[in-house]
Order: sequence, then structure tokens, then C-alpha cells
Amino acid sequence: MNTTSIFIQTLIGGIGIGSLYALIALGYSMVYRSMGLVNFAHGSIYMVGTYLGIIWYTGLVLGLHVSYPVAFIIGVLLNGLLGVLLERIFRPLAKLDLMFMLLGTIGLGFVLDNLAVIIFGAEGFAVRSPLPNAPINIAGILVLPQMLLLICVSALLMVGLQVFLSTTKTGKAMRASAMDHDIASAMGIPVNRMNALTLAIGSGLAAAAGILAAPIVYVNPAMGAAVGLKGFAAAILGGLGSIPGAIAGGLVFGVVEAISAGFISSSYTKGIAFFVVVIVLMLKPSGIVGETVIEKV
Amino acid sequence: MFLKIENLKMQFGGLIAVNDVSINVEKGEIHGLIGPNGSGKTTIFNVLSGYYKPSGGKIVFDGKTISNLPAYQITAAGFARTFQNLRLFSSMTVLDNVLVGMGHHAKTGLWKTILNPVAVQREENIFIEKAMNFLNLLEVADFANELATSLPYGSQRRVEIARALATDPQIILLDEPAAGLNEIETEKLREILMKIQNTGVTILLVEHDMKLVMGICDVITVLDYGKKIAEGTGAAISNDPVVIEAYLGQEDL
Amino acid sequence: MRKKTIIIRALLFGGAALILLFFPYIAQNRYQVHIINMAGIYIILSLGLNLAMGYAGQFNLAMGALWGVGAYTAGLLNTRLGLPFWINLPAAMIVAGLIGAIVGLPSLKVRSHYLAIVTIGLGEVINIILINEEKLTGGALGVSRIKMPNFFGFPINTDERFYYIILVVVILGFLVTRQILKHHIGRSFRAIRDDYQAAKAMGVNTAYYQILAFIISAAYAGAAGALFAHLNTYISPDIFEFKSTLFVMTMTMVGGMGSLAGSVVGGLTLPILQEYLRVIKDWQLVVYGISIMIVVLFVPGGVIELTRRMRNSRKIHWPWSPKPEEEKLEETNVSEN
Repeated sequence: MNTTSIFIQTLIGGIGIGSLYALIALGYSMVYRSMGLVNFAHGSIYMVGTYLGIIWYTGLVLGLHVSYPVAFIIGVLLNGLLGVLLERIFRPLAKLDLMFMLLGTIGLGFVLDNLAVIIFGAEGFAVRSPLPNAPINIAGILVLPQMLLLICVSALLMVGLQVFLSTTKTGKAMRASAMDHDIASAMGIPVNRMNALTLAIGSGLAAAAGILAAPIVYVNPAMGAAVGLKGFAAAILGGLGSIPGAIAGGLVFGVVEAISAGFISSSYTKGIAFFVVVIVLMLKPSGIVGETVIEKV
Repeated sequence: MFLKIENLKMQFGGLIAVNDVSINVEKGEIHGLIGPNGSGKTTIFNVLSGYYKPSGGKIVFDGKTISNLPAYQITAAGFARTFQNLRLFSSMTVLDNVLVGMGHHAKTGLWKTILNPVAVQREENIFIEKAMNFLNLLEVADFANELATSLPYGSQRRVEIARALATDPQIILLDEPAAGLNEIETEKLREILMKIQNTGVTILLVEHDMKLVMGICDVITVLDYGKKIAEGTGAAISNDPVVIEAYLGQEDL
Repeated sequence: MRKKTIIIRALLFGGAALILLFFPYIAQNRYQVHIINMAGIYIILSLGLNLAMGYAGQFNLAMGALWGVGAYTAGLLNTRLGLPFWINLPAAMIVAGLIGAIVGLPSLKVRSHYLAIVTIGLGEVINIILINEEKLTGGALGVSRIKMPNFFGFPINTDERFYYIILVVVILGFLVTRQILKHHIGRSFRAIRDDYQAAKAMGVNTAYYQILAFIISAAYAGAAGALFAHLNTYISPDIFEFKSTLFVMTMTMVGGMGSLAGSVVGGLTLPILQEYLRVIKDWQLVVYGISIMIVVLFVPGGVIELTRRMRNSRKIHWPWSPKPEEEKLEETNVSEN
């Protein structure tokens, strides 16, 4: 196998894991834009979403074994519902200083993580992919079918989100509400409901990411911490609050991770990825897509 | 020449906020800077105090070019300013706000602060005494230990001026000090400005209150759309057809 | 009335001083002393974080990793070069302080959540270096057999004896922090936190003070690290992961961000609370998380603000009551909220 195909293979792996980060980053960015809230519980929400879907698939509930797509939909919907419920907790938090937001949402993360430990046990489990386990060979490049599924469904979800936000009435109302709460409510847009919807979409996307990645990663109650932090880094990297930024940030983070793991040093992967974030922010403090704002004096 | 603004140009993207403006300010004068909204007055202040680096031209102060220095060094060189929207330190008392302005005169560094508390306290006491003098000058000494942001608006404006004076400036840039003040407060401000001038501090004043500007300024520079359109004494300016023209464009004047 | 409060204060202070002085003899077992020793180490970390975050408004979320830098500096100097604790303590502060300056550099360009992720990221980088530079750091296995200190031939080889070292460092740390924050350095910090642009216009060299805040907080982390390494005699990278930063941040905010007494209260409360919560096993962290949320939502000023509220309503004078003029200021502060 030649270097080019190894490189492309690594790149595809990076895009796959990058799609996962992008879906998580979207949750951070959308909620930040609509409520001004930096939600550090998002990693835990991702973990909960993964469980909410996967338990139906693996027979953890009453021995039920529904099919993977059905489990996927159930998980996304249930986690969306969780997002709606959490809006009530986030509403007062969003009015506080960043420090307090950080700690409050981290507290919520603790609660979710450890409830998951109590309910499902601290031990994790591997999930069988609904697709064949053997990598398929496309022109000499080996790819896991599940990885392809992850990339394709993520791409669909991102396009769908963009279409929803730019064409539907609700989507436009959400964007208006995010832009200016006061004007939006004066125009009769129910701001709190729009925030709830944003949280529902963010949480749903996180669940989707988790359920899609479950057969590749290992499912356990601690899985949210690392991915949550990387997703946040990705959102910041792209420019917090920007939807294209979140997608770009996620993909860049994933690809950098994969390339540094494949070609530089596997043990330094995480460090290199974070270091790239630091460097990018030093060069462009508002992120890849974020606009450079002149600070008003 | 005391302060020389030479061919100053400030551009934000495609927007030219200040275009080739030259102003000379003499030592000890009160120099007014007026013009309709958006004519570039505050931008000039922000360049003068080091927040923006000019896109062209330079600023010479006491024979030294200062336009490329960081903000805190410009303050050290003898510039102080107030802000159009009050920007007092919200967690601090009035006295502490003024003391911040004196911090850069402190001789005690970190080590001395830790190892020689007596010397630091001695220095602190001198600072406090000086700060109280400024508060007295601005007639807000009674509020010294109140939270600065809890004061009435007019008093907060005066605290800002006291804080600026505390940096020991040679020139002080006042950005609309009379905004939001009633007639009595404005009259008081006029007296205070005269007192400051008497202490030898030069004043560069941006202000919309024409009565105040005409009453106390030795020289007035008029800006419009980022350009200097006139300069002279109050009497000369108010009869200048170009100036009248510029202001007639403004509906509320 | 005035005289009475002075007497009450003197008695309370005297009592507290006696308890502090004889704690190892009052404690029921060695384990309790160990918990308090750890609490002391956390108080030092919290003082550092409070100075940077609560006063200067600088997110130093690499605090846990810098603690690790201090611990590894002391641990390696001891095991590799055989240097004693008394040299390793200042050495750890210097090394951590230097690394802290590097961690702080980005603060000159980015702020708030951007600075948060940058310092988290740099903390992760430090942690990964600790894990991966196996030749130097021993990798994931960490450094073991660090020797406990010796005081002029008297071995400080138990928790009870080490307690006094920690007590001295905590008291010194508290006094030094208070001294720094009381005068112009502290005012410059607060000016930067309150209004960055206005601070510049007041001649505050913002870059210098931002970096200084990082260096001081990192040096505290370094001291805490040296104490931990020589007390625990064993260190490994997982102790200094991001979760340790979170723990310190939590205790600081539970105690009161922007209040040094808050650091002491928080630093004592959380490790002890954690011990008591062990009884409920898995529910421990759930309760912990819920308590954090309650504090954030209902008492954002932490325990210190709570005592102030109680004092204002019942007019009890606690020994830590601020001086009259400060009190007046804080009351206006409360009514503002």
C-alpha cells in the first residue's frame, strides 16, 4: 500500500471523527448564539443521547432489540426532549457571568454523568455495527462501512439543518430570535420556545453523533468528557456562534487529530490538536469563520 | 508646539473615519473639537489615547512621536482621557477608582509589596492624600468610600475626570463631559474645567453643548465627515458659513 | 457593644488558633489529618486561582496542569538529584511560574471563553507531555518513592508532622495574597477585570499585570505541587488532569470567587464534604453536582456571600467581618444585585 492511499485513508478517518466533533460543536454554537450560554454539560448530553438510542438496539431495555435506524430515531427524539427540559435550567444560567455558566453547566454534567453510572454501571460496552464489520475496499483504500455511514448521515444532518434554518418559517424565527431577543419578542416570536427548540436540535444532533459513533468508539458514562471538550474546542476554533464555523472547526480538529496520530505521534495526538487550536486562535482570535470585530471603545 | 496632529488618517475597512486632519494644540489652552455626529471626533480621541494605530499621519507630543506607543505608555507620556459612556471600575469605590490612575507612579514592585508592607503603606498613604485632593477639586470627596457606580450620573462624570487627573497628565481629553448633565451641573463643570486649566493642564474637549464650548474654549476645531473644515476662536467659528452649512445639515440643531 | 465584639472576636480567633495549632492531636485518626493536609494544598491552589480569576479576571484553567508541573519538578529533583524539599519548594514555584507565564501569553490576544479553551488546551498539552516523556517523567506510572522532608535532622515523615509545614505555607500564602491584592497591584488587577480598555487609559500596563496574574497563580500551583509530591511520595499524571482544575474552580466558587476567605472556606469544605459523601457511594457525585448548581443559581457569591447575608439579617458579628467601610461597600453591592 502506498503513502498516498494511507494518507487518504487517514484523511477519511479524520473526516469521520471530525463529523462527530462537528455535530457536537453545532450544539455548542447554536445554543451560544441563541441563549448566550456556553454549555459545558453538552458532552454529558452527548453521552446520555448515545445511551438513549443504543439501549433499544442492544436489548438493555426489557430485552428489546429494535433495528438500528429505529433506535437512532428514538435516541435523537428522546435526547431532543431532554434538551427542551434542560432549557428551564439553562434559562437562569444564561443570565450569569461566564464563570458561573461554566460551573453551573459543569455541575449539571456531573449529575448526568453519575446518574448514568448509577443506572447503567461504570463499565462500558462495545456496540455491534449494523453494517458489515469488514472494511470495504474502494480503489485500494480501506474504509469501515460504519465510518462511511457516520460521514454520510452527518453530512445529511448538517445540510438539513442549514435548509431548515434558512427556508422554514420556524427556522427563520429561530435565527431572528438568536439575533436580538428584544426585537424578536416584540415581533411576537416566543423567545424561550425558540431557545428550547435550539437546545432540542443541539441535543438531538449530539445523540445522532453518539449513536452513529457508538460502533466505532466504546460506550461508557465517561465518554462525554473528552468528546465534549474537543467539540467545544472545535466550536471555538471555527468561531463560537457560527454554524459553518462549527462544521469547519469540527472537521479541521478531526483531520488534525487523525493526521498527527497517523504520521507524527499517536501518543501526542490530543496535545497536537489542542496546540493547533491555540495557534489558530493566536493568529485569528475570533476563529476560522468568525468575523474580526474592532473592539468598541 | 505642544501637541501636533499631522495629516492624521484613520480607516476601518472601506470606511474613512478621519481623513488628513492636522490640529495644533498649544500648552495650557482649552481646545474644543466639535462637529456633527460621526464626524470623527471620538475616533481622533481613540487614536490619541493609543487604542487605534493611525492608518496614516502621526502625532507628535512634546517633540516625540507617540502614535506608535501602546495605550499605557501614552498615558505615562502625559495623556489622560474620559469616556463618552461612563467607564468607571464597577467593583471599586470612588477612591479606588482614582487610585488606579496613580498606579503607574508606584515605586514598589511585587517584591517590595510582599516583603516591605510598611514602605508600601507609606506610599499608599501619599497616594490617598493626593487622590483626596483630586476628589476635592472635583467636589466628590464626600463619596470617596461609596461604590463608584452607585453615584448619581453627574457625580460619576466628575469622578471620571478626577480619575483621569490622577494619572498626572499634561493634557486631558474629555469626551462629552457635559452629556446628560442638567444646566446647574453643566455650570459647575464649566467652573471645574477652568480650575483644571489653572493647574496648568491642557484640555482637549469634545462636546455637543455649544454654550459650554463657546464659553470656555480658546480655540475650536470643527470636523465634518472626518475632515477639518474650520478652526479658530468661538466668534470666528460661529460666523463661518462652512460651519453653519455643516450644522444645518443636522436636523436637530 | 464595641468592646464586647472585640472580646468575642479575640475569643473566636484564639479558639481557632488553638484548634489549628493542635489539630493533629485533636483529630481522631491519621486519615482525618491527611484530609486536612489535602484541604490545605487545595486552599493554596484556590488562592492562586482566585487571584487570577476572581481578581484579575484571567481564566487560568491550566491550574491543575501547573500543579502537576510543580509536583513533577519537586518529585524529579528529589528522586533524580536527591534534593531536599526545602530547595524543591521554591524550585517548583519558579518552574511552574515560568510555565504559567507561557500559559498566560495568549491572554494578551484572546479573552473570556476563547481564553478559557486556550488555557484548557495548554493544560492538556502539559498533561500529555507528562504522560509521554517517559524517560523524564516516568510516563503514566508516574514518580514514586519521593522522600518526605527532614527539618534539621527531625524527620517530617507522618501526616501529623507534615501538617505543620502545610499550615505555615497556607498562612503565608494567605497573607502574601492579601498583601498583593491590597495595594496598587491588586487595584490594577481589578481594573483590568472591570474594564480592560479603561484600565489601559489609566496607565495600567495591562499586558504586564495579566502575565503577572498568571505567574503568581502558577507559582502557587507550583508550591501546592511540591507539597503534594513530598506528602504523597507518589505522583502520576492522572491526578493533574483537567478535572483537578475543575475541582479547584468549584471550591473557589463555592467559597466565594473574589474573596480570599472564600478560598479558605471552599478549600476546607469541598474535600471534607467529599469524604462525608463517600457514604452514599455512587450518589456522591450526583449530590455534588446538584450542590454546585444550587450554589451557582442561588448564591453566586458562594458561602462568603451567604454568611454576609445572614450577618446582615441577624446582625451577628463574625470574626471575619470586614472593616466598617468595606462592609458599607459590600452592602451596596448586595442591594445592587
